[in-house]
Amino acid sequence: MTGHAGHTMTTLSRTLAGALIAVAFWAMAPTASAVPSFARQTGMACEACHTVWPELTHFGRMFKASGYVIDNLKQVKGVTPQRDEILELSSLPPLSLMVQVSGTQLSKPLPDSAVNAKSQNGTIAFPQQVSLFYAGKIAPHVGAFIQLTYGYDSGTIGIDNTDLRYADLAVLPDDQSLIYGLSLNNNPTIQDLWNSTPAFGFPYAASASAPGVPYGAQIDGARGQDVAGLSAYVFWNESLYGELGMYRSAKQGTTGPLDSTTAGGVLKGGAPYWRFAYEHNFGRHSIEAGVYGATFEIFPDLGAGFGQPLAGPADKYQDVAEDVQYQFVGDQHLVSFEATRIHESQTLNATFAAEASDSLHNDLTTLRAFGTYYYKRKIGGTVGYFSTTGSTDATFLANASGQPDTKGWIAEVNYLPWLNAKLSLQYVNYSKYSGLRSNYDGAGRNAGDNNTIYALVWLSY
Amino acid sequence: MMKRSLTAIAVACALVVGVARADDPDPIARATATRLAVGVCGTCHGPRGISQQPKYPRLASQNANYLAAQLKAFRGQTRGDPDAIGYMWGMAGNLEDSTIDALAQYYASQPAIVGRHADAALVARGKSIYEQGLESGGVPACAACHGPDAHGVGDFPRLAGQHAQYVLKQLNSFQTNMRNVAVMHGVAQGLKSDEMSAVAAFLEAQP
Repeated sequence: MTGHAGHTMTTLSRTLAGALIAVAFWAMAPTASAVPSFARQTGMACEACHTVWPELTHFGRMFKASGYVIDNLKQVKGVTPQRDEILELSSLPPLSLMVQVSGTQLSKPLPDSAVNAKSQNGTIAFPQQVSLFYAGKIAPHVGAFIQLTYGYDSGTIGIDNTDLRYADLAVLPDDQSLIYGLSLNNNPTIQDLWNSTPAFGFPYAASASAPGVPYGAQIDGARGQDVAGLSAYVFWNESLYGELGMYRSAKQGTTGPLDSTTAGGVLKGGAPYWRFAYEHNFGRHSIEAGVYGATFEIFPDLGAGFGQPLAGPADKYQDVAEDVQYQFVGDQHLVSFEATRIHESQTLNATFAAEASDSLHNDLTTLRAFGTYYYKRKIGGTVGYFSTTGSTDATFLANASGQPDTKGWIAEVNYLPWLNAKLSLQYVNYSKYSGLRSNYDGAGRNAGDNNTIYALVWLSY
Repeated sequence: MMKRSLTAIAVACALVVGVARADDPDPIARATATRLAVGVCGTCHGPRGISQQPKYPRLASQNANYLAAQLKAFRGQTRGDPDAIGYMWGMAGNLEDSTIDALAQYYASQPAIVGRHADAALVARGKSIYEQGLESGGVPACAACHGPDAHGVGDFPRLAGQHAQYVLKQLNSFQTNMRNVAVMHGVAQGLKSDEMSAVAAFLEAQP
């Protein structure tokens, strides 16, 4: 802690930072998806690639690593006289639609955003989200997962998670496999194969009208659809996975070139991304352990009037994470467990210089662990624990306690009348929110007041 | 005369070589099949056809005729057990005959392994049923068609070393006619659940 607090500017930046964080995380409702167009393309039922969507089985991971190109449809083909393939198009475009309809009930309604009153409780989102996917093969060795989403909260249609891939296979001596490929995507970890990493991690869907976890690492969804990255990966013998990549700011809804007025901050140069994992399959069991991380240098957005030129000091966020996954995939019983711990070291060169943080160095640690059981892929549920802790910095975090600590547990029951339809009831319980159990906002609101019941109808077709 | 003899020998050699080549899959089909086996099929059926997951059958050393017939049955959607519908109808849906033959040859030429050894008493009971059948249930000896060593005969599949859980699931599918094979439906109808388990355990332990 240093003595920067108390400046007029600090008060302003606190307000603005608070607003930005709120916007960032409210907009961060997960959009994990399963895509029936893959089923149409492969002719295989959802169960081949998913335990219950969107969680992937080993085959699903291989399908993704192989570039979404495994197909069993009649193809429109072009070949050279040497029989090299120069065109391969599915006779039907791999399109899918996803619809989410939800209801959200908070333990206590949130304060009105303008006057001294309560907001409405019992928010109905019809639809919460509608997504159109182009997901499947687009050429030999090239596949796409492109999601266009209408969100009820934004009221607009925008680009959502997108992952374009090139992949090929080398047959090594003794018929061992080596898949190698490239991924061009817009959300760090969206390209990952395991459900223990953020982009396709639990909860797979969450309310867009309930207060979520207010602080998170950059790699933990904060940069989703805000960057573009190219990574190269190898997957040896279906067990050892390595990936290196680089992300760069790629804003949507902003006229380029990016400058000091760009909302949400701009990455300085490229942000390196890395991922290594080992998977072992035995019998009906599959285990994975891995590490991943990225380093983001950001010219921060400190709000109107405090535009930072895209030069000089930048905030540095160094994210290092570990993850594990276990799956048992039986015909009747399916069990899985996923966990990740993300540690972020923050060196706030620009923010601190602008007196918008108390400290130059902060850190943030997020832990999530969740276990899932399904009976015959029909009925099941998940119980999970989440915790975010970190340095005290009242100016930077813009909250009453000066701490980011937010902890709780989440439980969800699901019923799938058909493999592509999911009815969910989710409960989120907070034991701590923004550093405090009670009166976390200085206006009498307790962590438990944010406890959320969330009912969801989720259809994919 | 000498020249005529040499020509005859050369023609004979060419014919022999020609016949040998006709038996082999087309080199392009063979390369396609190897890539498919390593990059796609192997994800479930294991490297070189030795699957570790009992849900998916081991294909190493399987009878090529049987493999080709099954792939064609998947492609034609005539094999109707649940995993065939969910997985293989799609997977085999677009395979050409030449690729099917090359895949069958690929797996037929892979070395088999011995499966898991189960309870000795169970295996012994299974051996008895396999070799002698069950007079009470009207069940013929499995060995009569699948061979005394369970390596398969003609179009009848190899069963030695197969996952017991897979064999059990197939016997149940034959019994309920989800997998519609008249001969096996008749055989499986005479088998009780514990007898199926014994035969499956015996087969998994066979080299």
